[in-house]
Amino acid sequence: MGKPKAKVDRDKCLACGGCISVCPQDALFMIGGRALVTDEKCISCAICIRTCPIGAISGEVCF
Amino acid sequence: MKYDVVVVGAGPAGSVTARFAAEQGAKVLIIERRKEIGVPVLCGEGVSRRIDNWGMLEGKRWIASNMEGARIYSPDGTMVKLSADLAGNETGYVIYRDIFDQELARQAAKAGAKIMMNTNAIGLLKDNNKITGVKAKQFDDELDIEADIVVAADGVESKVGQWAGINTRLDPKDLETCCQYTLTNIDCKDAYCDFYLGKKIAPGGYVWVFPKGKDVANVGIGVLANLSEAGMPKKLLDNFIANDPRLKNGNPIRFLAGAVPVAKPVETVRDNLLLVGDAARQVDPITGGGLTHCLEGGKIAGETIGMAVEKQQFDQETLSVYETGWKEAFGKKLKRNYMVKEIVLGFEDKTLNMLADSLKDFKFEEISTLALVKALVLKHPTLLMKLRPLMKISSEV
Repeated sequence: MGKPKAKVDRDKCLACGGCISVCPQDALFMIGGRALVTDEKCISCAICIRTCPIGAISGEVCF
Repeated sequence: MKYDVVVVGAGPAGSVTARFAAEQGAKVLIIERRKEIGVPVLCGEGVSRRIDNWGMLEGKRWIASNMEGARIYSPDGTMVKLSADLAGNETGYVIYRDIFDQELARQAAKAGAKIMMNTNAIGLLKDNNKITGVKAKQFDDELDIEADIVVAADGVESKVGQWAGINTRLDPKDLETCCQYTLTNIDCKDAYCDFYLGKKIAPGGYVWVFPKGKDVANVGIGVLANLSEAGMPKKLLDNFIANDPRLKNGNPIRFLAGAVPVAKPVETVRDNLLLVGDAARQVDPITGGGLTHCLEGGKIAGETIGMAVEKQQFDQETLSVYETGWKEAFGKKLKRNYMVKEIVLGFEDKTLNMLADSLKDFKFEEISTLALVKALVLKHPTLLMKLRPLMKISSEV
């Protein structure tokens, strides 16, 4: 079991782009008007989770 | 297809750059990933009256309301009123950003720029490390768009700069994470933009109320990302509204999130590449305002591109006319205000209260540094120590 990876709730995301701008791994990008995490790049730092103004990103354990 | 310039992003900076490049005779393409320019709005929609100076916007449809001034509330509620003349520098109009952006895009098109919607930039085209255009995706089609110059106008989350090797990643302490309701059924009969400061109200930022009409206003919050937690801005804003007699009975007709870079400026020019607007971090670190820079900087960018196309020279040195130009026009102010931001962030709520108490009766019509310092220090002598670093900056820059 790995560390939790960031996951964007696509029903909540309002496409502000804040998470993308602070990600130290360039692991997020905007697609279809919502932010999306590239799991392979995510290092579980949780900066995006703390940055989201509306709490649309959470940690999810990947198997 | 080969263009002189491809602009990534049809926000204000992209459209203005495109317009002035096209007016100088360049063959310009704008690509925009969204399905409607300006939508969704990601903005507090307050803008300086200086926007009139450039005369780039026709008509009045983009204006929601004219502001008479601004009021700043310190953590204990002490109010400092700024008249229109002074406050107008930051808060002259409250606008409809969607109409605003579409008007600027229309002007770009009128000047001859071509616009492609639903088109995502996914990478740069390169030939031996030389940038030769943009790789893009429109629906299921991948496109190679060749151009001599690529303009990164792709906003706060800019990727284009990164692809060219410019580090545009933001430290959380240099990002305001925001959200905003447009509330209706509230009383906004006096046309003032209100700002509320305090660590409990908005850590490292502020709450704003920008009236768009007699009974409707944008009510938003910005929190510095390094002081925030998941969802904190929304919780603090909901709390603020619930406890404000003027706002608590309001009903939302819109909710949006936002992210505002409050960083030091980055490099904005490489061979065959320019960065403009939020992608270039051209935002005032104190107020979070960026629209006037998009217009002023975009014009300089567009004219520089026109000159480069005329000469058929696209190297960094040729394009650096843009960087020199915008730094002269407003870059120095941004640099100074970044230092001011860093100092003011260190102020306790108590210091802000003392400042407001000293300034509440100050007649800003007679503003001069000396009069200001006198007013501050006469009432609260301990402010002198706190303000010394600020005075140092204003004397140096």
